[in-house]
Amino acid sequence: MSAVAEREPASPRPRPRKRESALRKTMKEGLWDNNPIFRQVLGICSALAVTNLVLNTAVMCLALTWTTALSCLTVSLLRDWTPHRIRMMVQTLIIAFYVILVDLALKAYWPEMSRSLGPYVGLIITNCIIMGRCEAFARSNSPGMSFLDGLFSGLGYSFVLLMVAVLRELLGMGSILGVPVPYFSTAWDKWIIMVMPPGAFFTLACLIWIFRSIRSGEEEKSA
Amino acid sequence: MREKPWFPVLYMFVITAFFSSILIGLSRFTRERVEVNQQLAVEKAVLEALPIELPPEASSLELHQTFLERIKDPSPASGGAYVLIAGDKVVAYAVPLEGKGYWDTIKGFIGIDSDMGTVTGISFYEQSETPGLGAEIAQPPFRSQFVGKRMAQGNRPLGFLPVGSVLGESEVHAITGATQTSTRVERIINEDLLSWRSGVLSRGDSAL
Repeated sequence: MSAVAEREPASPRPRPRKRESALRKTMKEGLWDNNPIFRQVLGICSALAVTNLVLNTAVMCLALTWTTALSCLTVSLLRDWTPHRIRMMVQTLIIAFYVILVDLALKAYWPEMSRSLGPYVGLIITNCIIMGRCEAFARSNSPGMSFLDGLFSGLGYSFVLLMVAVLRELLGMGSILGVPVPYFSTAWDKWIIMVMPPGAFFTLACLIWIFRSIRSGEEEKSA
Repeated sequence: MREKPWFPVLYMFVITAFFSSILIGLSRFTRERVEVNQQLAVEKAVLEALPIELPPEASSLELHQTFLERIKDPSPASGGAYVLIAGDKVVAYAVPLEGKGYWDTIKGFIGIDSDMGTVTGISFYEQSETPGLGAEIAQPPFRSQFVGKRMAQGNRPLGFLPVGSVLGESEVHAITGATQTSTRVERIINEDLLSWRSGVLSRGDSAL
């Protein structure tokens, strides 16, 4: 699978010396080494916009992971046919297709969630993570690997977003998933700013800082 | 074929047609459901603003049944409000509320007793206020404050005061940290109540 490694332009890092299985590597790339949020700093708009309630965030993460995984799969399936010059158009079309499916499903079967996510479901189309993975990986790799790459990039996005959301809802509202947490819902003086947009910037910045510090420690060790 | 200059055009055409037709099919399939959902949201909001005992876990069908049995549709005589009836008698009105919130339009209902002065409840079925702050207007702690309040005479039937202040019989607490939403909701309620009240009163007391 060294071909995978060579065609992976999004990663500025040197390849690990140890030979890992392709699956393990894809997993580690998406979740940690090349995490879309704290490594590539992509998809930040939604990371800031929908993370003040854990439930909304969870639905958003599911929608994004579904879209990334299936778009990558589809782009990869069509990769031998798609003319190079119009590939971005085709990718956008495919991404939009999966996002509209999510939007339709939410509107029909979960109208309350559809209302509270508002325009952010539709805005998944413009989320850079998806097209980034399609361009960087799916268009030059096998469908199976592309699906996994999209899946784990989505999960990498999800776990950071859920951490932001848990912190914001807990500190800002004293609850998690709407359930009041002891101490935080009573004695804690709620930080209203955490629920407001600036709270997302602070939380995300701190998380990126912490994760990057951990990573740079790892880099020194492996060097 | 793939080297031909017209191939990209054909390719894009075919692929667009393929994905769009799936989406068109699915959106037709779900359209009815989406419309029903919207209608149900309105009906639920009407019932929640009125003094009706609803089972806490009422299904959409039960709500719809209750709505059909007890609620009369808006008419010019009711000033555009839904009317709750028991037998032939008017029990209460659900006055529609609509106006600009902090982020987007807010729509809801406020229930007014047939004495034209007592609030029976308030509900919102459309709002995109900040979750955790302005969006609390749609939550029970905020909404339950309105039950039993009296509409004041003059041009400010209901007033919002900061949390902690002593409330009169026509005042409720605003939401801390959501000043924008609070002032806008206060304005929406007062404007809509005033125009409804003057509309109904000008028709005399036989409001039905």
